[in-house]
Amino acid sequence: MKIGVFICHCGENISSTVDCPRVAKICESYPGVEYSVDYKYMCSDPGQNLIREAIQLYKLDAIVIGSCSPHMHERTFRNAAFSAGINPFMVEIANLREHCSWVHDDIESSTLKAIELVRMAIEKVKRDKPLSKINVPVTKRVLVIGGGIAGIQAALDVANAGYEVVLVEKEPSIGGHMSQLSETFPTLDCSQCILTPRMVEVHQHPKIKLLTYSEVVKVEGFIGNFKVTIKKKARHINEDLCSGCGMCISKCPIKKKAYNSFEEDLAFRSAVYIPFSQAIPNIPVIDETVCTYFQTGKCGMCLKVCDRGAINFDQKDTVMVADIGAIIVATGYKLYDIERKSADLKYKGYGEYGYGKYRDVIDGLQFERIASASGPTSGEMKRPSDGKEPKKIVFIQCVGSRDDSKGISYCSKICCMYTAKQAMLYRHKVHDGEAYVFYMDIRAGGKMYEEFVRRAIEEDKVKYIRGRVSRIYEENGKYIVKGEDTIAGMPVEIDADMVVLATAMIPQDNAPALARTIGIPYDKYGFFNESHPKLKPVESTTAGVFLAGACQSPKDIPESVAMASAAACKTIILLSSDTLEREPVVAKVNEDLCAGCFYCQKVCPFGAVEVKDVKDINGIVYKEVAFINQGVCQGCGTCTATCLSKSIELSGFNNEEIFAEIAAL
Amino acid sequence: MKELREHAKELLEKGEVSAVIGYSQVSEKRTKPIIVTDPQDTDQLVFNEYCLNNLAVYLTKARIKVSCRTKDKTLKLAVTAKPCDVHSVVALIQENQIHREDIHIISFNCHGVAKDFGFEFSGDNIASKCINCETHKPLYFDKIFGEEKETPKASDDAMERIQEIERMSHQERFEFFKNEFDKCIKCYACRAVCPLCYCQRCITDKTIPRWIESSSHMRGNFAWNIVRAFHLSGRCTGCGECERACPVDIPLSLLNRRMAIKAKKSFSYVSGRSLETPTLVGSFNEKDNDELFM
Repeated sequence: MKIGVFICHCGENISSTVDCPRVAKICESYPGVEYSVDYKYMCSDPGQNLIREAIQLYKLDAIVIGSCSPHMHERTFRNAAFSAGINPFMVEIANLREHCSWVHDDIESSTLKAIELVRMAIEKVKRDKPLSKINVPVTKRVLVIGGGIAGIQAALDVANAGYEVVLVEKEPSIGGHMSQLSETFPTLDCSQCILTPRMVEVHQHPKIKLLTYSEVVKVEGFIGNFKVTIKKKARHINEDLCSGCGMCISKCPIKKKAYNSFEEDLAFRSAVYIPFSQAIPNIPVIDETVCTYFQTGKCGMCLKVCDRGAINFDQKDTVMVADIGAIIVATGYKLYDIERKSADLKYKGYGEYGYGKYRDVIDGLQFERIASASGPTSGEMKRPSDGKEPKKIVFIQCVGSRDDSKGISYCSKICCMYTAKQAMLYRHKVHDGEAYVFYMDIRAGGKMYEEFVRRAIEEDKVKYIRGRVSRIYEENGKYIVKGEDTIAGMPVEIDADMVVLATAMIPQDNAPALARTIGIPYDKYGFFNESHPKLKPVESTTAGVFLAGACQSPKDIPESVAMASAAACKTIILLSSDTLEREPVVAKVNEDLCAGCFYCQKVCPFGAVEVKDVKDINGIVYKEVAFINQGVCQGCGTCTATCLSKSIELSGFNNEEIFAEIAAL
Repeated sequence: MKELREHAKELLEKGEVSAVIGYSQVSEKRTKPIIVTDPQDTDQLVFNEYCLNNLAVYLTKARIKVSCRTKDKTLKLAVTAKPCDVHSVVALIQENQIHREDIHIISFNCHGVAKDFGFEFSGDNIASKCINCETHKPLYFDKIFGEEKETPKASDDAMERIQEIERMSHQERFEFFKNEFDKCIKCYACRAVCPLCYCQRCITDKTIPRWIESSSHMRGNFAWNIVRAFHLSGRCTGCGECERACPVDIPLSLLNRRMAIKAKKSFSYVSGRSLETPTLVGSFNEKDNDELFM
């Protein structure tokens, strides 16, 4: 076998701490190495040409590249090798950058390490076997999880490209948090006015199958070939018959038993309800937990008044399975629980701010509902406790966010802007009112954002105080806000009528569970992880699963929409071909040796291991062995490690190759 | 005894099983395994305190395995198993080596077996696994014989040796096992007698590449014995056959028991006790204790 060795300087990234010419020179002397050379940028066009020419000139059978991580350029070099006529899997990369030059500073020792790394790769490549790509078919249907603005945007983009979309929303209506907002920064256009046309479009789109009040319970399969189990919760209303007249809602005698979660618990709703009047679909849901019929077996008022006969108390949850090619996860966020402690004690609450104790201490979304024309006060500025107009209002930023002691280190990104907007809205509605904002820093990076904050301060006379609030307590109907003005270096005390807490954005409670269901990683807070922070921001590390919106990190509306369109675009690219080429790095079972214990089946995270019957000459099954579905296997190697008799080998990383590498050390 | 023989005979005559794996008497205080296929031979079958072997091993080893795995109902096997041996059968079912419906388990009410053949079964001659045994009745069986009797009070404490090892420092423990493993002659009797060592090709026999060093050197001695302990951790049912079979008396059950105690403490799992519980190896729970991760 003739091996070529190519050592890249990576500009100075490698060559500043590794003597590349020396590495190349030494490699020349290793058995099997026909040609060895170093070059400034091996990934560049001339660099790749150098590889191609050397392969042809020296009739090389395999090549070793000493360069950056295979994550970066493995594909580049495999393609170069392929175009020069050798199998792309006869290419090995010794990571001289991340594993060597970037982490060491002594030239002598890092050069010696680089030589060892290359020698290991040479030993491995000698044992490499040519592999060919695996082709798998693609199901041209996309699952979008979450019907907020990100999910809506992604679904519309994919559907408009001509592919089928299944949009799953856990609430009875799509719309998400954006439908709750009053007006949006920095233009102050009405949130619902710009959102609801999109919601209608989703509902009417012939390519979109909308499943509200539904949840994804199981995801099996792999890129291009997922099998997704979706549970459709019982609405107790026949969706085909319901006309959305609302008669059941108006006649429902249960009016004050359940808080309206769309109104952020500032109002009540009936037992049969739609979340809000523009809900899509406009089909009510019966809340079993408060409905008299479900609690006592009596009532049935809705049944009597519905002239379409759409009420069905016996309706059960249904489960459907969909074949899906790609998944876009857009599950959004929730607000940090200010006073409560969450179940897993991950976050500590702000008991000192009296949220939950004082009715006029509210969070950002509650303020949105009060300020919203469709909200419980019809847009009039009234405080929840007594309905009086607050004359003095205090906004507190960074409640939860940027506070290690409460368990959240990150910046929630949108609070500076929405606080400015809310203070502005307040001033527009209460002309003689005073608005104060306690802030840590004002982070207004974005088009027209800084100008917007300046407008709040300069035109609308919102008073910004840099500092934290230590305590809020009630005194004579007022809320005494004690804080500190760190610029003046003085304590501040404001007797406010209402306090608005700009609470942190955190992932939805079920985000980690959903991540495990789908098989995507998440960070310590529960936000889903992107594949690469810069170059693959909308891909999850699981092939075929993409991310959009605030489920990945705190985001405002334009960012969520942009990310959703990006994820849609990635999905469309994936679906645009009929088959997918997959890397042949998959596990294979030696059927003669397999003992059939099926531990591999138990540990396989992708469900790739099947049971295969081995028959004798008479067709009688005499043993069962493991069989690995090459289309499903992701080459993670878990089965290989688990197999007690080492009867499974991972192509491209088989025992022999790995042992040769280690032995070369 | 009579009932056992009649039952076995009936099974074979009716063709419900193709063979009965059982014990036959060799001398007064010694038995040996026997595989009966002819109903006439069932009168050789016995069960007493000298039935030391764990016959579950014959379900997977040798040619008999092939016949029991054809899924052909006419090739069912009956196995005579002490309650502790039933644990091994359960483990084999869990690991897909046999199917429950292909195995007819004949078990007994057990009050312990002798430690060694040829000596009277008593508190001085009782197998160490029997001393603290809690399973005097089989957890799974198709037919049960024998009357319940008191287990004789043992003259030594089975846990004492394990605690002794626990008390040692790392260095002392290493020295202790080094001396023990030094005796190992790589006869692999422990592997041959173990019902759970059913791999068709043991990893030790894999030579390209060689995973387990097998030289008569400290490296090879440790490699074999420790790898075997690792491969059995969370799986070993504690039948103690490896230690009994070892010709040079390496206290192998010390290793296996220690792993079993660890599995019980960390994951509340005891191997071979339930067909419904997922096996420890290969199952994952978020609440799993992670102190064992290396």
